[in-house]
Amino acid sequence: MSTNSQKYRNSFLKEVEANVEEGEWVKMCMQCGVCAGSCPLGKHWDHPPQEIFMMIRAGKREEVLTSDSMWMCTSCYNCIARCPRGLPITHIMHGLATYAKRLGLAPKNQPTQGFSQLFWDNLMKKGRVNELKMGLSMYFKDGFAQGVKNAMANQKLGQNMMKAKRMNAMEIMGGHGVKSPGDLAKIIKKAQEIEDGKIQDFS
Amino acid sequence: MAEEKKMAGFVCTGCGIGERLDAGQLETTATRDGKMNTCVQHDMLCSKEGVQVIRDTIDNDGATHVMIAACSRRAKVEAFNFPEVAMTRANLREGVIWVRPDTDENKETTQEMADDYIRMACAEAKFSTKPSKSGEQELNKTIMVVGGGITGMTAAMEAAAAGYPVQLIEKSGALGGRIAEYYKVLPTRSPYATPQESSIAEMAAAIEADDKITVHLNSTLAQTSGAPGRFSVDVATESGSTSNFTCGAIAQATGFTPFDANKLPEFGYDKSADVVTNHELEALAKAANGGPIKRPSDGKEITSVAFVQNAGQCSDEENKLAYFSGVTDLVSIKQAMYFKELNGDCDTTILFNNLRTPGAAGEDFYRAGQEAMVLFSKGIVSEVVPGDSLTVKFKDMILNEDAEMDCDLVVLAVGMEPNSGPDPYYATEGAGAPQEGEELTDEEKEERAAAANEVSVDSILNLDYRQGTDLPQLKYGFNDSHFICFPYETRRTGIYAAGPVRRPMDIQQARDDAAGATMKAIQAAENAGKGMAAHPRAGDLSYPSFRKEGCTQCKRCTVECPFGAINEDEKRYPLFNEARCRRCGTCMGACPVRVISFENYSIDTVGQQIKNVEIPEEWDEKPRILVLACENDAYPALDQAAMNGVEINPWARVIPVRCLGSVSLSWITDSLNNGYDGIVLMGCQRGEDYQCHFVRGSAMAAERMSKVGDTLQTLNLEPERVVVHEVAITDIERAPKLINDMAETIEKIGMSPFKF
Amino acid sequence: MTEVIATNETILVVGGGISGMTAALEAAETGKKVVLVEKRPYIGGRVTQLYKYFPKLCHPTCGLEINQRRAKMNPNLTIITMAEVTDIKGEAGNYTATAKIAPRYINDNCTGCGDCGKAVEAEFDDEYNYGMGKRKGAYLPHRMAMPQQYVIDPAIIGTDDAQKAKDACKVNAVDLDMQEETIEFNAGAVVWATGWQPYDANKIQPYGYDRFENVITSVEFERLADPTGPTGGKILRPSDGKEVKNVAFIQCAGSRDKNHLLHCSRICCMASLKQCTYPADDVDISVYYIDIRAIDRFEDFYQKVKAQDNVNFIKSKVASIVKGDDDSPVLHGVDTEGYNRYANQHDLVVLAVGMEPSVDKESFPVDIVINEEGFIEPASENGGIFAAGCSSDALDVNRAAQHATGAALRAVQVINRVAGTEG
Repeated sequence: MSTNSQKYRNSFLKEVEANVEEGEWVKMCMQCGVCAGSCPLGKHWDHPPQEIFMMIRAGKREEVLTSDSMWMCTSCYNCIARCPRGLPITHIMHGLATYAKRLGLAPKNQPTQGFSQLFWDNLMKKGRVNELKMGLSMYFKDGFAQGVKNAMANQKLGQNMMKAKRMNAMEIMGGHGVKSPGDLAKIIKKAQEIEDGKIQDFS
Repeated sequence: MAEEKKMAGFVCTGCGIGERLDAGQLETTATRDGKMNTCVQHDMLCSKEGVQVIRDTIDNDGATHVMIAACSRRAKVEAFNFPEVAMTRANLREGVIWVRPDTDENKETTQEMADDYIRMACAEAKFSTKPSKSGEQELNKTIMVVGGGITGMTAAMEAAAAGYPVQLIEKSGALGGRIAEYYKVLPTRSPYATPQESSIAEMAAAIEADDKITVHLNSTLAQTSGAPGRFSVDVATESGSTSNFTCGAIAQATGFTPFDANKLPEFGYDKSADVVTNHELEALAKAANGGPIKRPSDGKEITSVAFVQNAGQCSDEENKLAYFSGVTDLVSIKQAMYFKELNGDCDTTILFNNLRTPGAAGEDFYRAGQEAMVLFSKGIVSEVVPGDSLTVKFKDMILNEDAEMDCDLVVLAVGMEPNSGPDPYYATEGAGAPQEGEELTDEEKEERAAAANEVSVDSILNLDYRQGTDLPQLKYGFNDSHFICFPYETRRTGIYAAGPVRRPMDIQQARDDAAGATMKAIQAAENAGKGMAAHPRAGDLSYPSFRKEGCTQCKRCTVECPFGAINEDEKRYPLFNEARCRRCGTCMGACPVRVISFENYSIDTVGQQIKNVEIPEEWDEKPRILVLACENDAYPALDQAAMNGVEINPWARVIPVRCLGSVSLSWITDSLNNGYDGIVLMGCQRGEDYQCHFVRGSAMAAERMSKVGDTLQTLNLEPERVVVHEVAITDIERAPKLINDMAETIEKIGMSPFKF
Repeated sequence: MTEVIATNETILVVGGGISGMTAALEAAETGKKVVLVEKRPYIGGRVTQLYKYFPKLCHPTCGLEINQRRAKMNPNLTIITMAEVTDIKGEAGNYTATAKIAPRYINDNCTGCGDCGKAVEAEFDDEYNYGMGKRKGAYLPHRMAMPQQYVIDPAIIGTDDAQKAKDACKVNAVDLDMQEETIEFNAGAVVWATGWQPYDANKIQPYGYDRFENVITSVEFERLADPTGPTGGKILRPSDGKEVKNVAFIQCAGSRDKNHLLHCSRICCMASLKQCTYPADDVDISVYYIDIRAIDRFEDFYQKVKAQDNVNFIKSKVASIVKGDDDSPVLHGVDTEGYNRYANQHDLVVLAVGMEPSVDKESFPVDIVINEEGFIEPASENGGIFAAGCSSDALDVNRAAQHATGAALRAVQVINRVAGTEG
């Protein structure tokens, strides 16, 4: 709960500016709403970008960070192309999502979030995405029975991907990866340390 | 004039006039009926050769009066420019051949039209004299500037820079006005991003050092009399001493007063010291002396501020301002930046409805405010709850919910109220004017005027004019011009308002406005010296003269002059002030005994045109319709109709008038007595958004004509025979139709029985 | 050969729109010699193409009539039309200006009778009506055009039409051999009043001005409403000529936008509010806006329009326009007051296009301080060159005339200094 002393004050805005990628742009929004109107998935959002920016100014920290709205962004860049103030809205949306996740505030069953996590975990194993395992883990994330159903439903898709050599059944054996996964892990670890160091504590 | 009149007529046969009309007959009409001493034809009178023929007639034959029968008086003005003679034009092209069909059956009536226009132009010439200076004029280059704030200081410096001496009057003990109390001002040069120091101190020093500028501090105007070119000003100082000087023209830059926030109890201004106006915040910022701004209540450093935009502005409630004060959104952004500059981490929130930061500089500054982390929210504030921490309650329009926030200080962005003097027309046209349908007796009117004077503010100019002491107001007390194209079209010739007394504005605009008003003042002084009229009849040398013997001292001319040009002398006769006069002729139209006239525009110049139209016998069934058309809108509309080939009834005879306000009732009664069948008056739009550049000309004509009913009744004539219309310059189809409608009316009700 | 008599005590005014005209007339009526150079074949500029002014809803031609009368009567003022200033050299009090004059192919003999126009057959898009209508190859640009002289379109030179025009003229006004000329003259001070142009709506891709007939600009809408315009004052759809029953105004079309014009064009809010009064009462009107910027007393007008039953305000920058039924544009976007998504179909959409400075930053024929937005800064470095009106900022007519009057004074100051030292 935000108290009156946080409402319409700079505290949350400053937090966003410090800890969210491109967050320093949020203050430049003039509430024209062209981003909201330009978003192809807009109708699925509880809060369109411009409204999120207003909520940030209003100090609605929890409401913003627990929202699933910014998880809806598909990076089409329509909003960035049209924003009259040049706000990198796509990046801000991803930045907000990442920050919410970092704080553990992201909505638990938000599917995009789940997918992102699976994608990340898959990628981190060998430094390259294993399409087959990625697909399977998606299908079976809600249990075995549901996984079989999902797999059957998407059978055609899988076959086509194999025909087009976008997926290889042999990948199940381990699959391709970068030369030195250990080094990658080190790089990622270092990057995370740097990023963690930048995050300011606003709690 | 004793000088012998030599009248020369010229008939152009170009542009199809020669083909459509019998030019020989026109020539005969000019000499026989029009009494021209000579009349010649030319196949292209506006050509070099044609103009030379006229020139030779003037130079070699000593012609004093010239009648040119060719195109409209609006065409070929540069070619037919003979200021040394009295000149009239008969409009045979746009007035006759272009509005009549080229068929055999119409030939006779078209020729009659043309002959009449020749007779009219000849008569007009005969009764005109060449306008010349009255001898009243004086050149006085001194400009008086009233008000020593940024606008007045700028006006003084601009006038001096142009080489004109200045008398600068300031009520207080120092120059600088409100800006002197400001911490910083809006940026005036790109990038429009940071508040800047005001230049008041340097300006004051420059004025001090300028020997062209005389500064009167602690001074007010005890009396201003005279006219442009010869204003005489009595200055009273606080100490009681008086002095006098003369000046040629005046710029009034008396500025504004911030709206009284005590009228906003909902924002807690009267309850908490920590609710301040935007003007008071300037003082707080200044007092901070480079350190953090402190709370008025407890001296605590301020860490959060809310700005309530449009406090008491843009409101339909009584006691609040209906208008937007132009700059208050920019000012709040500027002030929010003060906190960013002085109070470090201070939160600043601007609660606005529509954020009005126009132009390139405005939008730049808005973005700069956002860059500086000023927080903007479209929120409409309903209440400020006082307390240790102030709570601002508002509706967040974006999140669509009732919201509130706490802060240390609330700044109310209040508007500006002009420091204007009492409105001379408060009780007749201003806020005290009768509402629609409300009829006031003369007594009630006077009561109202007296009441207005009591509640009203002190006079600033103390003009000794018959019509009030100060500049007339447009609306909400502002001394603005009523015209969009002409921001300095003043109703008191030679006196120009500048800065926020004219309209709410920021410093840069006020400084530009000061330059504009100074330009007009300089121009007024120069032209007064030459005896020339000011806008819109700029350069006109004619002026009203009056025959004292006939005057009945009815005072209509002094009351109705839209520019307060006419005073009364000690014997209560009208006292004309030529340099205040704008040559509209309203006085002439007002005078019931026809004693007022101009050299080239008089009861006779029009009256004789009316009389010289040939009125056919009743059984000829050729009615005559007199059209008196305002030369600024209706006449050009008819000209353009002609260019479009719109037909006009052949019975019409159109006479352009300077303003419908100049139309004398005698013209109407004479026309009716002479057998005209209908009269159409075409003036400008009247009412709140009036278009008349002489203010009430059209309205007065309508009033006067409403009384023509009696005359009509005595003559046993139908009231439909006289109509007044509002005509715009774009009424290209409508204006001819109104004339044609009158022809139809006459067909219905029959011809006038007064044909002799 | 055009002759200009000018000295270092002459003021050169570049541009003959409302600002240039005002500056020129105010200076001339103060007794100064003025040369006014105008690119178009007539003076008056863009205001001649407006139907009404806000907030009085009066007609621009009314003021034009007065200004033209002032110009005709004033011997101090020389007007050169169809001319562009291509170079200015020198310093305050001593400039040499070069102007290029395009051939009009009509000389001063012209009486404006119109015979040439009747004789010529070729027709061209009428620029006075923004291409919505045709004019002849010999034409008077508009009914009140000053000078009241016809113009021959260079495209018909060398064709039979040109000869027809010449043959039709009874006063020997057609001169088909006229050539472009370049003249040079002195000036002590310069008032720069080249004004603005409507922002090119084609550049606002999501609004489809180039794709949808029923998406027009605000300046075109003025011509549609004007009784002297291409539709005789009836507001009809370009696609099918049907009467418009539902019209939308899109504010900030090109203004306040990093992708287009960075600045707020100031006038568009008021212009659209004004245009809300053009259609009949039974026409539904929607205004899509970010902020309604009604300054000072204009607030009255805003309130008046707001009170109109048929006008609806939506706080939203429209995201895109697509074609709906019957060629009607469908507007997509979000009303930000409370987050309402819309897809609204209108008969006609008017883009309130912004004001772009007429002269491109890079193409100024003189060294002058120009800001990011392309407007001339009030800089002392500009010497004896003073911006007037919309070359200094996006201004409405009243403010432009006000600004131009002040600019005239600054020019007069230079002239008086010159006269003082010379005389």
